[in-house]
Amino acid sequence: MEADGRVRLRDITVRYGRRVALEAVSGEFVAGSLTAVVGANGAGKSTLLAAIAGVVPLAAGVVDCPARQLAYLPQLAAIDRGYPLTVSELIMLGGWREFGPFRSPGTAARARTVAAADMVGLAGRLRRSIGEISVGELQRALFARLILQNAAVILLDEPFAAVDAQTISVLLDQIIRWHQEGRTVIAVLHDLDLVRARFPSTMVLARRCVAWGATEVALPAMVA
Amino acid sequence: MAAHALIVEPFETLAFMRAALVACLALALSNGAVGTLLVLRRMSLDGDVLGHAVMPGAAVGFLYAGPSPTWLSVGGLASGLAVAALAGIITSGRARHDAGLVGFYLVALSLGVILVAWRGSNVDVMHVLFGTVLAIDQQALLQIAGVSSLIVLGIAALYRPLAVGAFDPAFLRAVGARAPYGAVFLVLVVLDLVANFQAFGTLLAVGPMLLPAAAARCWGLGVAASMALATGFGLTASVGGLLVSYHGNLPSGPAIVLAAGLLFAISAVITGSLRRLAPMIARDV
Repeated sequence: MEADGRVRLRDITVRYGRRVALEAVSGEFVAGSLTAVVGANGAGKSTLLAAIAGVVPLAAGVVDCPARQLAYLPQLAAIDRGYPLTVSELIMLGGWREFGPFRSPGTAARARTVAAADMVGLAGRLRRSIGEISVGELQRALFARLILQNAAVILLDEPFAAVDAQTISVLLDQIIRWHQEGRTVIAVLHDLDLVRARFPSTMVLARRCVAWGATEVALPAMVA
Repeated sequence: MAAHALIVEPFETLAFMRAALVACLALALSNGAVGTLLVLRRMSLDGDVLGHAVMPGAAVGFLYAGPSPTWLSVGGLASGLAVAALAGIITSGRARHDAGLVGFYLVALSLGVILVAWRGSNVDVMHVLFGTVLAIDQQALLQIAGVSSLIVLGIAALYRPLAVGAFDPAFLRAVGARAPYGAVFLVLVVLDLVANFQAFGTLLAVGPMLLPAAAARCWGLGVAASMALATGFGLTASVGGLLVSYHGNLPSGPAIVLAAGLLFAISAVITGSLRRLAPMIARDV
């Protein structure tokens, strides 16, 4: 990756109405780092990713990151599975920055769609509608869409929630591949054993940032 | 030649039937596209509410200029957009507020009826409530055709962001497509409702928009194909409804909406039983 994948947060605060979801979080995700974001329910983990992605407005503070170099995986529940869309169309949307809202996706985007589907084990599923495939397969398709987005910063909100073990291993391999390619990956996770085993950095949230750094140093703050 | 007398003759001999037919065909084009997106966005209730939000403005237009199609439309458009903006502000960032939406609908409807009844007759009230599809003059026809052309062009131009925003708005914002497509879509809905209002009145305006789209949605097609099928259903319901109302001497707006409702029921029953039968057939083979 040539683009700079650094994400710097300066005192970011997010409010939903009068409720403070995230308060004065500061720090930097180094370019090429692989960070797990952990914390109790309602700790502001999803809000943090949405704030970095620019999907929720900031009440205060600044997110400093290459805005056009960012790919965001929302929670699965945010996707309307009743929508009439094929797996192939869903993945191809990842090329949005190339073809934009108006032009037709070219043959290159189509070829990359097939290749990305192959990587996440969805080769035979391209023509299915997203309502017909399993939850695990939908998550694989959304990962394939992220592959197409080819972003320097990848934000994953609970990528393994409600997903079978085999899919988790495929998706985890992809995350490691992104890390090896030098991309910055930030993932909200619940499985602390997994975090300990595979994620070099960890951020512990409880509306404020409780601990942030190397996993073996930061994670005990969560368990305590 | 019985079929000719039944189907072609009413349109051949009567200018008002022809005008009604052309208006309904123009509306079917924009309704197919707008209605499909409305159903896919699960915004049917919002569409219904906005249909009634047109009423107070149309009533003010009526007070100002009598039953002139232009002033009814201008007033209706103004109050429809005002309510859309107001509802957007009130419900933004919160869970859906059904009671608030229905509240808008009741207040707007009552206010409109009172305003029209204040200066007009009972016939005028009936006209704004149920429309006057058989009394569409050339000016109204041009307006309807113009507005629905505008809507079809608008949706064609913004098709991809509108379609993607309907199922994954966060993705749209994350890839930097930050134009307010949701608001643009609401404007298109209000425009289409104003066009329908002339023919179907405030109570039924949302019917020709939603019912063909809901019927098309049953068949599980892609977005563009659903729009085309919804347009086809809209055309069928218009021709069928107009003929039934002519031969049966029935009110034509409600007849067209009933025909669309019938298509919805047939679609739901057929696709529902196909879905139930498919696994059984697969097992037998």
